[in-house]
Amino acid sequence: MKTILQAENLTKVYRVGSMDVHALRGVSLDLAEGEFLAIMGPSGCGKSTLLHLLGGLLTPTSGRLVIDGEDMTAASDAKRTDIRRRKIGFVFQRFNLFPTLTAEGNLRLAESIYAGGGNEKENGERRREVLSLLQLENKMHHKPLELSGGEQQRVALARAVVTRPAIILADEPTGNLDSENSAIVLNMFQEMNYRFNQTIIMITHNPEAAAMCRRIVQMRDGQIVAPHASVQL
Amino acid sequence: MESLVVNNIKQRPVRALVSVAGVALGVCLVMLFTGLARGMSNDLQRRSSNLRAEIIFTRPGGMELTTSTLNLSTKYVDELLRIEGVEMAVPVGRYIFQGGRGFGFEQVEGVDWEAFARMNEMRLVEGRAPQSFDEVLIDETKARSNETGTGGTLNLFGGKPYRIVGVYAPESGARVKMSLAAMQDALQSPGRSSYVLVKARAGVDVNVLAERINEALPGNKIQLTRDLVTNIEKTIPYLGIFLRVLVGLAAIVSALVVMLAMYTTITERTREIGMLKAMGASRGYIISTIEKEALLISLLGLVAGFTISLVAGYLIHRAYGLFFEYGWAWALVAALIGVGGGLLGALYPAVRAANLDPVNALSYE
Repeated sequence: MKTILQAENLTKVYRVGSMDVHALRGVSLDLAEGEFLAIMGPSGCGKSTLLHLLGGLLTPTSGRLVIDGEDMTAASDAKRTDIRRRKIGFVFQRFNLFPTLTAEGNLRLAESIYAGGGNEKENGERRREVLSLLQLENKMHHKPLELSGGEQQRVALARAVVTRPAIILADEPTGNLDSENSAIVLNMFQEMNYRFNQTIIMITHNPEAAAMCRRIVQMRDGQIVAPHASVQL
Repeated sequence: MESLVVNNIKQRPVRALVSVAGVALGVCLVMLFTGLARGMSNDLQRRSSNLRAEIIFTRPGGMELTTSTLNLSTKYVDELLRIEGVEMAVPVGRYIFQGGRGFGFEQVEGVDWEAFARMNEMRLVEGRAPQSFDEVLIDETKARSNETGTGGTLNLFGGKPYRIVGVYAPESGARVKMSLAAMQDALQSPGRSSYVLVKARAGVDVNVLAERINEALPGNKIQLTRDLVTNIEKTIPYLGIFLRVLVGLAAIVSALVVMLAMYTTITERTREIGMLKAMGASRGYIISTIEKEALLISLLGLVAGFTISLVAGYLIHRAYGLFFEYGWAWALVAALIGVGGGLLGALYPAVRAANLDPVNALSYE
């Protein structure tokens, strides 16, 4: 199976005043295409830092990261942005939808950034397919504030996948949702993973959410302490 | 398709309006001041060009912008008529006073209407010439802007009422004319005038005649009416520099207002910018998105500015009789200032947004 992500000995050191804070202490991770990976661990263990590194929002202090054959660590800021544009979709705990745009407008914005708008016919078909899969057809003209938390997160997911990125990076996507909406959103993630063979990396504190993933990684103190962990429900 | 740029503007209508007003203010400043300078200059030129006399004979200091005195004896008229080449000589009294609406200055001239009209090819379009000391003529522009005419009243010389007995054309010099005798009486200056208009005989070289007058009547001021048009511009010193400074100020006002508005916008939308970055938006994309917003605001400001300038020019003309003439060149300058100022003002916030750290931006509260 094709390796979509390869991280070798990633470290990240923040300078806070005169102190060096080691957020990541040599993380290595290989991910095959179509994997659905959960990253678990206590607060402050470096999960979010790792996710930001994998998404090219941060640069590692040392180590090497290759996404779908492209070396992120050797890339300039502009190049990393370009790789992120083509290959990575983000879903955040706080949804981060654009409040002035409708659900459809948020998806169109992603298309516009991805390919300057591209082919409207193809975009339209893909958009409808994603919105249908996420059961958002009736909500496409609603603005975020007119949607429930679960619906907003589904729109955020739709926005992340509408350009078919190689990897979806989700940072506690159910952290702001009640259990019912959490289950709906997680099912959607699973559906994306099955239907489109979408590679997903999801940070979660929720064991039930982690249990829906094919693989679980446990982190502590900036390191992966269990690359194939399991959870007890 | 809905647009992030348009929706962002619609989300904060008051702030957008303030930004639009800032750009419009800059445009208005340029348009109104240059329009007024051009309008008043052209008005004076028009009125001066309607004089058919070639020479103005006066005492030194007798034709300055603020001179109201009758300091030239009318006895010079006979002396001028004796000079070879002079066909006509008509004395004129000029009195300048603050406008009745408390804005700017107005003039009234005292002339012997028959001689003045014959010399300058003027005619009465209605009414008759003044016969008593409390009668005046006005030109068509004055009649139109004051919405008055024959039978109306004007207050001159400290509020004294004067009856309008006729309307003349074309416009020339002061818009209000009374008899010279009436002005001499009002100013208690019998036998005096401000200047004498001199018309040369056909075929006489005006420069030669002026030289001849100077030799015959030394110590006086001899001015050619064709130079008067040029001198009008010189009577307002540094007008060009003033207009350029004004243009610069207008550009700064537009740029600052847009910059402040866009700066607060960027601060407010920090997380959204972080999200744009997470979605892979390049620096160029972010800068262009913000600049497009500034461009739209600037264009709205241009439309508002031009509209307000036109309406304000019309209203000021109606209220105060001032003339506004807008030129394409200054309109282009105003447009460039509005758009350029807006784009330049937005550039710093846009670059700042493009340089935001995405992780910090996403965690911004």
